[in-house]
Amino acid sequence: MSLPAELAQLLAEVTGDPELAALPAGTPLFGDGAGLDSLRGTLLLRAVRARYGVDVAAEDLNLDALETLGTLAAFITAHGQGAAG
Amino acid sequence: MPAVIKCVIWDIDNTLLDGVWLESPGGPPPPDPELTQVLRELAGRGILQALASRNPPEAASYVQDVTGVRFAAAECGWDSKAAAVSRIASGLGLSSDALAFVDDDMIERAEVAAALPAVMVLTPEDAADTPQWPDFSPPVVTAEALRRAEMYAARQRRQAEAAAFGGSRADFLRQAGTRIVIGRAGPGDLARLHELSVRTHQLNSGGTALPQPELAALVSSPAHLVATVALSDDYGDDGIVGCAVMARNGVGSWPVPVLMMSCRALGRGVLEALLAWLGRTAARAGATGLTVPCLITERNVPMRLGLAAAGLRAPAGPVPADGRVLFARSLEPPLPDLPGWVSGWDGAP
Repeated sequence: MSLPAELAQLLAEVTGDPELAALPAGTPLFGDGAGLDSLRGTLLLRAVRARYGVDVAAEDLNLDALETLGTLAAFITAHGQGAAG
Repeated sequence: MPAVIKCVIWDIDNTLLDGVWLESPGGPPPPDPELTQVLRELAGRGILQALASRNPPEAASYVQDVTGVRFAAAECGWDSKAAAVSRIASGLGLSSDALAFVDDDMIERAEVAAALPAVMVLTPEDAADTPQWPDFSPPVVTAEALRRAEMYAARQRRQAEAAAFGGSRADFLRQAGTRIVIGRAGPGDLARLHELSVRTHQLNSGGTALPQPELAALVSSPAHLVATVALSDDYGDDGIVGCAVMARNGVGSWPVPVLMMSCRALGRGVLEALLAWLGRTAARAGATGLTVPCLITERNVPMRLGLAAAGLRAPAGPVPADGRVLFARSLEPPLPDLPGWVSGWDGAP
């Protein structure tokens, strides 16, 4: 499974909304797209930290990584364990 | 300022009860009179009370009946107390430094202290003294505080229904009969606004307690707009859950020096409604931008998520050493819509 697809699965799990498991990698997470708000966003960031060891909130002030599942996957790849730097 | 304890989690056997529930053949043991007093006193101050016990759920019902105190959560089962305390914290939306845990058993105390170092772990003897401790003495007890246990019970019903609901988040908020009322803060709101400034962390931009005289000056200042946010739905009435202070700044950017909200409002569309309302109100008065100064902390990530969702951005680059960052957005259309369930004040002076 690709990382964006894995993240869609994770988002569906933490929000309890099974439809989000099929969310395309390019759909905006905030607003109407996936309805990411402060609660769902916090749950997603917590799950990402637990699974991938990447603390997005600590490294991305504006949380731009949360624009789409694709940008989040790229951020995790760049900052995850084993990434250069 | 000491951390404020928002919830006390009690063991039952040989703590709230004068004996062991499962080992009392002549009927359940009576409540411990001293701790029952403490329990009632703390509940009367608006501090939530919860139970964590290795007993069947009937033990929790019994304790509720004999003490007359309504518990916001009860975890009865045979897994670890640390797991029970974690579940209570996440069910109530509280962080572990807002919790105290009382147990007569040294092993249970050690286990909770090791797994959750931020929790205040107490013996029953310590707990008897807590009404004198500043951490257990909220400066004001508001109407919202006294109804807190009831509101958390409504929250649990709402969460259960939301989990079972198939549609989108917006559909659930609509179906739940969500009502958000923006109000103009008056002198009668000062105690609640002060309380919000002390108690809120996850959805708080400034991170500083606001004394009542400072709030009173803002409320009466013609240069400022102080808005309250009341939240209710078919599950319950949460009263005033949030507040924003915005400076009326002519045709420039309008700063929002105070933005704070109870964690009960998390996930219910309230922060996004308030930010949309602030932007639209400022734009109507001719403002070109909206700015929110924010103290970046580990705990207010939910606030940053709300700001990002509302289109506010901070300058790129590392966070300054003092942690203070200015989030901003232009008020060029299109502005975020105000959902149909928001009503109230139009923000006019």
